[in-house]
Amino acid sequence: MIRLRPLVFLLWAILYTGAVSAQGVTLPDAHRVQLDNGVILIVHEKHDVPLIGLKAIIRGGAVTDPDDRAGLASLLAGLLEKGAGDRSAAEFAESIDAVGGSLSARADLESITISAEFLARDADLMIELLADMLRSPTLDAAEMDKLRDRQINLIRAAKDGDLRRLNPLYGTAFLFDEHPYGTAIDGDEASLAKITHRDLRGYFADHVGSDRLIIAVAGDFDTASMTEKLTAAFADWEPAAAPLPEIEPPLPIEGRRVLLVDKPGATQTYFWIGNVGVDIAYAQRAELDIANTLFGGRITSLLMDELRTRAGLTYGARSVLLRPSMPGYVAMVSYTKTESTVAAIDLALALLMRMREQGFDEETIASGKNYILGQFPPELETASQLAGQFAELDALGLDESFINDYGNAVAMADSETIRSVINAVYPSPDDLVFVILGDAELIREDVARYGPVTEMAITEPRFRPEAP
Amino acid sequence: MALFAELRRRNVFKVALLYAVAGWLIIWFVDAIQPAVTVPAWTNTFVYFILAVGFPVALLFAWTYEITPAGLKKAADVDQTQSIVYKTGQKLNAAVAVFLVLGVLAVFGQRLLPTFEFLVPGVPEGAAPVSEKSPPEIRSLTLDNGLKVIVWPDHDIPNVVLYNFVRAGGRNEYPGITGLSHFFEHMMFLGTSNREPGEFDRTMEAAGGANNAYTSEDVTVYQDWFPRSALETIFDLEGDRLQNLTTVAEVVNSEREVVYSERRSSIDNNNFWKLAEQVQATAFVAHPYQFPVIGWPSDIEAWTENDLINYYRTYYAPNNRTVIVSGDVTSKEIFKLADKFFASTPAQEPPPPVRTIEPEQLGVRRVLVEAAAQTPLLHMAFHAASATDPETLPMSLLLNILTEGESSRLHRLLVEDEGLALSIGAYQSEGFDPGLAYFYLTLPPGADPVVAEARVLEELLRVGTEGVTEAELAKARNIILAQFWRELATIDGKAAALGRFEVFYGNYEMLFDLPANLEAVTAEQLRDVAARVFHANNMTVGVLRAPPEESTQ
Repeated sequence: MIRLRPLVFLLWAILYTGAVSAQGVTLPDAHRVQLDNGVILIVHEKHDVPLIGLKAIIRGGAVTDPDDRAGLASLLAGLLEKGAGDRSAAEFAESIDAVGGSLSARADLESITISAEFLARDADLMIELLADMLRSPTLDAAEMDKLRDRQINLIRAAKDGDLRRLNPLYGTAFLFDEHPYGTAIDGDEASLAKITHRDLRGYFADHVGSDRLIIAVAGDFDTASMTEKLTAAFADWEPAAAPLPEIEPPLPIEGRRVLLVDKPGATQTYFWIGNVGVDIAYAQRAELDIANTLFGGRITSLLMDELRTRAGLTYGARSVLLRPSMPGYVAMVSYTKTESTVAAIDLALALLMRMREQGFDEETIASGKNYILGQFPPELETASQLAGQFAELDALGLDESFINDYGNAVAMADSETIRSVINAVYPSPDDLVFVILGDAELIREDVARYGPVTEMAITEPRFRPEAP
Repeated sequence: MALFAELRRRNVFKVALLYAVAGWLIIWFVDAIQPAVTVPAWTNTFVYFILAVGFPVALLFAWTYEITPAGLKKAADVDQTQSIVYKTGQKLNAAVAVFLVLGVLAVFGQRLLPTFEFLVPGVPEGAAPVSEKSPPEIRSLTLDNGLKVIVWPDHDIPNVVLYNFVRAGGRNEYPGITGLSHFFEHMMFLGTSNREPGEFDRTMEAAGGANNAYTSEDVTVYQDWFPRSALETIFDLEGDRLQNLTTVAEVVNSEREVVYSERRSSIDNNNFWKLAEQVQATAFVAHPYQFPVIGWPSDIEAWTENDLINYYRTYYAPNNRTVIVSGDVTSKEIFKLADKFFASTPAQEPPPPVRTIEPEQLGVRRVLVEAAAQTPLLHMAFHAASATDPETLPMSLLLNILTEGESSRLHRLLVEDEGLALSIGAYQSEGFDPGLAYFYLTLPPGADPVVAEARVLEELLRVGTEGVTEAELAKARNIILAQFWRELATIDGKAAALGRFEVFYGNYEMLFDLPANLEAVTAEQLRDVAARVFHANNMTVGVLRAPPEESTQ
């Protein structure tokens, strides 16, 4: 007797798993351990090329900078590379370069991150350098002075360069104001000048330690031996002296305000228009990503299509979401020649209104879903990308479902929910913060129509206007 | 219930099940072989239609007729005591089981082997690599119209990258049409006789794909990144714009504004490129490498529709392009698609060669740019070699030793030890014709560029006489080797690297000689190339600083 039911069930099971795995990327399994002193290790083997990617995250970051010392975490990150263990700054750099490795530290809003990539044969060296820079950096006073002065001058150089990079700095400072999210991550000319060697040492003792370290490593090695080596390097490290500060959620701005940053002679106006947005754990993340993709996240987005393709007003226009642990920002960003400043800003505002009123049609939504699902896999292709993703999820207290359930959430998103997410997240045109960089003499009167204007010069040594 | 029991007795349910399973297998099979064989677009619909129509017919047949030892009879006429419906039912079960097993095998088989191309004669194999160092799965094929297609399968992620290298760039331009190559890069997104402006991007993004393009002095490169499911759509889009591009005056003029905006952002309001444009124009007096890739403003305004059409016909001809595909594909399915979508574009006369050879420089050249600036910039450019010149790899190692990483010579001296510069970097243009070895420095506010220039030149002359150490050479080799592996870790890097070597070196396989070639370079070669290139008479110096009256404010 031939029984069909088991066969039918088997077939169904195969087709079902096929359908689910077709719905995008899943994070591979990784070995995660927490050491007694709090250090978290995440280890994943990947053997396609002889490389190892590593990401270490120290939770804290720029939000832990003292009030008038913006850039302290960033300066510390830079100093970690300037000599550690028994290596001088020059020897430390030489050790990395000699084997073709890369190892660098930088501050983010809520972390100091160290990214490393080495050939597989140099795994031991990589771990030694990482342990040295975190546990026994030299923090030499002369190196600090040099780095601080250089950082100040590089900010001046940036003001001579492509202003697209500066816009968000003025934007966050003006929007979040005194809230920690308003901190200039790499500092400004004035705050950096105040930082002393004593500040740096104190910050290192208070904010760097085992209780806030996450290390994720992926690549061409053996999991057991890699875990053992990292454990040996960090198991006896002490926790940081001060607790991690609690951050209050920032409040959205009501009404409008305009910051005009004067750069005499600029032939373009750069604008950043936004308000407080949502945090990383926002429940309707898939719906928001679809909305943002369609509004300003790809070539055929509403902003690009209207501002660039149809009106020829700009080369680029985007909608940007910053999503830290507390609500960050949502902003429209673009630039245009000085004479078309008002035309471009008015059009951007009209598009914001149009999206809030009409949402997107089903066909457009389907296109946005395909785009997100189609572009997602290459973000988790290399060992370094995987290490970065493991570490970031852990630092934010998220688990692998953040990735693994994402494809289905995107596929299942419906237009009604997307519509309500748009109106909940994107600000009403009545409540907006404008940052406008350009030749103030030519646009001062024009931009007054957008709200009460505060003006400052680009050469001022900070990214926010002086308090009145 | 009696009807239900009778339906069951006459095996109607089993026939329905058998029909469904067999139908599913047929539909699956038609889908699976489609990438490999050319079938009309209505095939799927037709198959579904036939299967749908057949279903009630089959059920009716099962109800009406019954198999008996004496052959097919009307069920109503069969003596039920003599009926063999149970045996028939077992046979049906067996058939369903066989189809199910086939189906299961096929689904697994398809995962291992994405298409049934082995069934299909006439799909070219393509040429395998000759060198043992090249990954054996790479295949290349040149179509009759001269278009070469190279495929590197890699099934790590369900995505694909397509690069289309066009041998057209700034060096193919002349006064009046400078910037045309770059403008053309924009035009390629703006409509064909089959598609409206913007439809290219809309179609691609709706299928999950993204794209970009860039133009250099030597080439224009189009890049598509997409899920495997969009393969046919992408080939259709690319084939269309490579054959049917239109140039509508209104669209052209709107796009001139977009390019202007790009120029304003990347050059006019960006001191680095404002200076680099002038240095390039000063370093070359004869060769077209003197033109900025984005074009001189008056040319952006003035080129005509005729210029565009001629350019398209000559430079975008299949024999002047190379297509690279890497990712979740097989070479055969790509060659099949290339044949379907790219083969009908006719070859053209090869473009006129760039004849001009830059004459030897007879003394240092200087250019000053005055612009609002808190931090002065210093650029120093030296005439060097073309991509295929034996001097190019030694020079690239040398520039690495001088400026790559915090332990590099010039970074240590000028940035860390002497504070003469905030940053220093260098690159070498590896193009069809001899280009520049180019150093760029950002200086601290108020610094005198003359001091930094003298210091850099002193060190460059020192390399020409004293050479480099073995340790420095080993370090530079390791850095370049690590970059090589990093690039090959992604399907995007694979396509970019294959294309670069195929286009500039004439053979993609030379990519895989790089590790051995690096080992073969000697410290003496580095000293010799330094001595030949780094001297004042071969140098163009550019300085950007604030006008004197502004800096005294």
